[in-house]
Amino acid sequence: MAELTGWLLDVYAGEQGLTIWLLTDNGERRCLSQTFPVTFFAASQAVRQGLDKLDLPAHGSTSDLRAAWRWLSSQSEPLRLARAERRDLFAGPIPVLSIEVQQPAHLPGLFRRFSAAFPNLTFYDADLPISLRYGAVFGVFPLCRCCVEVQGNQVKTILALDSPWDLDPEYPPLRLLALEPDCNPSHAVPKGIIFSYKDIRYRMPLEPVRALLANLKSILRTYDPDMLLTSWGDTWLLPKLLELSQANPLPLNRDPSALITRKEQRTYYAYGQVIYRGAQVHLAGRWHIDKYNAVMYHDYGLDGIFELARVTGLPVQTVARVSPGTGISSMQIMTALRQGVLVPWRKQQAEAPKNLFELVRADMGGLVYQPTIGLHSNVAEVDFVSMYPSIMSHFNISPETILPGENDPQTGLPLTRPERGLVPTTLQPLLQKRIAIKSQLLCLPKWDPRRKRYQATASAYKWLLVTCFGYLGYKNARFGRIESHEAVTAYGRETLLRAKEAAEDLGFEVLHLYVDGMWIKKPAFATPADFQPLLNEILTRTGLPIALDGVYRWVAFLPSRLDARIPVANRYFGVFQSGEIKVRGIELRRRDTPDFIRETQQQMLNILAKAPDAEHVPNLLPEVQALVHRRLADLKRGRVPPEKLIVRQTLSRELDAYRSPSPAALAARQLADRAAPLRPGQVVRFLYTLGKPGVRAWDLPGEMDCRTIDVARYSTLLERAAETIFQPFMSEPVETKLPLLSGLYMPNKTSLLQEQAAVNWISGTA
Amino acid sequence: MGRTLPSSTQNFLQEQASFARFRRALRRSDQVALDDLFASARQHLAAAAYAANALPFETFLLAMLLEEHKQVMRLRQLVEADLHITPGDG
Repeated sequence: MAELTGWLLDVYAGEQGLTIWLLTDNGERRCLSQTFPVTFFAASQAVRQGLDKLDLPAHGSTSDLRAAWRWLSSQSEPLRLARAERRDLFAGPIPVLSIEVQQPAHLPGLFRRFSAAFPNLTFYDADLPISLRYGAVFGVFPLCRCCVEVQGNQVKTILALDSPWDLDPEYPPLRLLALEPDCNPSHAVPKGIIFSYKDIRYRMPLEPVRALLANLKSILRTYDPDMLLTSWGDTWLLPKLLELSQANPLPLNRDPSALITRKEQRTYYAYGQVIYRGAQVHLAGRWHIDKYNAVMYHDYGLDGIFELARVTGLPVQTVARVSPGTGISSMQIMTALRQGVLVPWRKQQAEAPKNLFELVRADMGGLVYQPTIGLHSNVAEVDFVSMYPSIMSHFNISPETILPGENDPQTGLPLTRPERGLVPTTLQPLLQKRIAIKSQLLCLPKWDPRRKRYQATASAYKWLLVTCFGYLGYKNARFGRIESHEAVTAYGRETLLRAKEAAEDLGFEVLHLYVDGMWIKKPAFATPADFQPLLNEILTRTGLPIALDGVYRWVAFLPSRLDARIPVANRYFGVFQSGEIKVRGIELRRRDTPDFIRETQQQMLNILAKAPDAEHVPNLLPEVQALVHRRLADLKRGRVPPEKLIVRQTLSRELDAYRSPSPAALAARQLADRAAPLRPGQVVRFLYTLGKPGVRAWDLPGEMDCRTIDVARYSTLLERAAETIFQPFMSEPVETKLPLLSGLYMPNKTSLLQEQAAVNWISGTA
Repeated sequence: MGRTLPSSTQNFLQEQASFARFRRALRRSDQVALDDLFASARQHLAAAAYAANALPFETFLLAMLLEEHKQVMRLRQLVEADLHITPGDG
């Protein structure tokens, strides 16, 4: 028996039991195996619903379970069957048929046949990722430091030496090989591949193929990387290499006995957007991560992916490619496994019946005010810290703790059971660690190397926490129930209203409320310390932590584009006392805004941010206007590089499904005869051009004639973006301001400005 | 995630649209006043949503009334201030 210490890299089902990859302290990459039978459960639906005592027809009843036992006994896989009692999250302890599968690799196939043969049974723990099962039993997780006792290559015991909640875990010294084609394969056909390992970097042509493959093979053998970090590796590079090396396979996998796993591309609809996910290529024994197919890679990078693997328990390759929703579900599954709660195969909790009045009361979202339009100075923005997760944790909101239809008679808020719920139990450490990291970030100096990783972690956690709330009400979430989702928003509204009342009681004017944030001002209040008593008061009244996001020198809430009288909840820009600019909902935040427009709008704001306070902003308007005139002139004289004018838009449907094609669809059609046509959710890049069809796809081969650019259209876009910035400063009498901007504004704007003046007069802000 | 019932903004837009025929038959000057009334109700959509009244238009009418009353109060203040100052001036 020998003892190894190192990092757990991967766990997956192998030919015999589990395959476990360990990177030991002396730098060995050890491939170990372990016997690990896995169990899933079947119950009759009648039992689960407590209907077994009624006289029901035979299907879905206990007689089905007896038939299932007989069926399972006749299967070829080695199994161990037993009657047992386990806890359903909602129904409590129930009798189940326990099916222990000796080889984890057999489970998916067996379960597929079993569930097809017995569709009326309810299944539990049937489709859980093996890494979660393993983590639940041994307390280990991907990338954890662990101590392993082995006999030969067989793992006897494994013990975690650190915790996912450590702030500064020790990371393994990984060998990382980067591979990328010399151009984006969806834009042009690559001619070569660029390899880099530490400081070594070289490019090899795709042709001749024999040389390429021989070199690649020797590189993989020599460096034996733990990870391939690729660009377009999922969607182009690895499929291409696999195709080229069919006759003479490359050692892409480090585990020669395992297969390379491939997954199809798909498009789906979530959070109001069409999302495209490319095909996937997963390796065994080493990781493959495609920067362009990893979720949020641009946001939190490898640091975030490693951190997510540690806290969710999902393998590194998986967690890099799944949505935060899958991440938080995995954490809930882990909590359930540890508490001995059954994990349903499919969600079963339907909405409880409600009458119309109850529905009208319950089916509401967060509280979103219409802000007071116009320019305001010395405004404080205060935000609740992770409001919805804090509410779930503080008020113990979980699908099983909610008592549907039971409300507090005084506040009208939903009541919950006292036992700690599954969701709050899962969230608590995550919330605490995020708060700890955020407070560390506040005191770490700018040069500290930990900053980058802390920021990535905070960002990755943010997404887990945000989706945790959404998943409470998501129809496919295993531990979801719409009533608990509604309870969170009910507490959210109550909390925000209590904060508003506290602010008004202390003499503040409330300019805006937005779900978890509040914008307030009070004459002569301008420093962060001025607002501290209010924060304390809100904490007392709500029980939830609230923080000052900052004090704006000035902030402008913008009206609707269509009607200047109508405020818009999330369209504003302002400058904090630190000089930091914050913008929401304006052109420069939009993904389809060309760089030229975005940069100009940003520069306009940078000029305005120089003013020490709101009174001095008008002095800077001539400078801003001069900038806009210069940029317009640049555009008209062809001094703007065409790549700065590229519009990026996401296709929302298949090309044939457009009835009147959008510019994006027209551009995509120009590219349609290429090898891989664009799919819904993918981005198409184009320029606005003169004549029909009015657009030119940027990725069309051949030179583009710059004289065909539709300058007038881009001028209009620029003028509109400029107008957004000028608009809040135009509420003074129209005549005095117009000459300043006369070169910029079209005549029909006058009526809009007069209207604005009238609205200001009516609302008393003039 | 999806909602079962229309949001307060959707309710508002539906109610406004249902008066399209009424609005069309008004004089142009009255149309402007009517639009103002709807715009003033729209400033209170958050409160209307929170109220969750089964008949949302009642809340919108009250919101219009509220904005009207704010104006009355402001005008009254102006007039009173004016009346107060005038004797001193004269």
